[in-house]
Amino acid sequence: MKIFRVFPIQLAATVLLMGVGSLAAPCLAQDANTGNAISFANTKEVLGLDGLKHNVTGTLAAENGSLVFTKGKKKIAVPAASITEVMTGEDTERAIGGTIGILTMFAPYGGGRFLSLFRTKIDTLAIEYVDTSGGMHGAIFILREGNAAAAKKALLSQGARTSVPAEVEAEAQAKPKEKQQ
Amino acid sequence: MKCSHYRSSLLLLALVFFFMGSVTSAQDNKNPTIHASSIQILMAQSDEVKLPIEFQLALYENLIEQIQKTNKFQHVYRDGDPGASSNTDLVILHSNVYGFKKGSEGKRQVTTVAGATQIKVHCVFTDKTGKSEFAQDVTGNVRFVGGNLRATFDFAKKVAQIIVTNFQ
Repeated sequence: MKIFRVFPIQLAATVLLMGVGSLAAPCLAQDANTGNAISFANTKEVLGLDGLKHNVTGTLAAENGSLVFTKGKKKIAVPAASITEVMTGEDTERAIGGTIGILTMFAPYGGGRFLSLFRTKIDTLAIEYVDTSGGMHGAIFILREGNAAAAKKALLSQGARTSVPAEVEAEAQAKPKEKQQ
Repeated sequence: MKCSHYRSSLLLLALVFFFMGSVTSAQDNKNPTIHASSIQILMAQSDEVKLPIEFQLALYENLIEQIQKTNKFQHVYRDGDPGASSNTDLVILHSNVYGFKKGSEGKRQVTTVAGATQIKVHCVFTDKTGKSEFAQDVTGNVRFVGGNLRATFDFAKKVAQIIVTNFQ
């Protein structure tokens, strides 16, 4: 009988651990200070990388002195030394996005509008880089909340340059939140 | 009898729309005055307003993409590309952002009427010496569907349309 009492608790604990595990999944390796490889899964490339379409989701990594974006078999690398500016930002997006999100707009009784109220916080990472012929490029990425600063630090450790240090930018972004509180 | 009357009026209406379309397209194609085989697109400047870097980069990248799609130029050079300086038949696009209002995607989706994002840009096409060939103010908007950066796409589409209209 005791076994049957313990089983639901074990089941609940397993489910909880699985949930925590999925939350930890976005960052595969994190070591910005030592300059080792660091990658961010489920990163959306909004625009700017040659050879990739807009709004492609893949893995962003800072490794071997480059920014590498991988989507399936495609791998786009930008040498960190050619990155002249790295900036981070914060924004929100619909919790239910994409085609389903657009289809919900046709839901009756303003159901789609109600669903628009549910939003997830995101981080943006914008980089400016120069190609081999000297032409300027810009690329924008959307990362999960709290990852942009780490990505910026990782890129800087690989050799990218910026006009605003990561610490200063983090302080500037934290100030409006303090004012709200 | 009534049905045939209805059909003929519909036909008449369709004819009117057809001719209106041909007249406007003829007007559009009337004055393609500027000729250039190549264009260089410079990064958008924002001296008057504070423009977030993601908007600045999206403006620039969308402009390049949309102008390439027009097929009006043999080469579309990026800002800083040294290959542009050797080209004799070159036009340079300067964009200066003079108005920016960052809206809210959430507000747009909930209210429909509020939260629009708007970017106002003064575009100047010059030759290599800096002599102005053509200038126009262009506004990029996003009012309902899409994220805030979609305003830059709207702007780039409008600039591409201007190029189609004004360049040979």
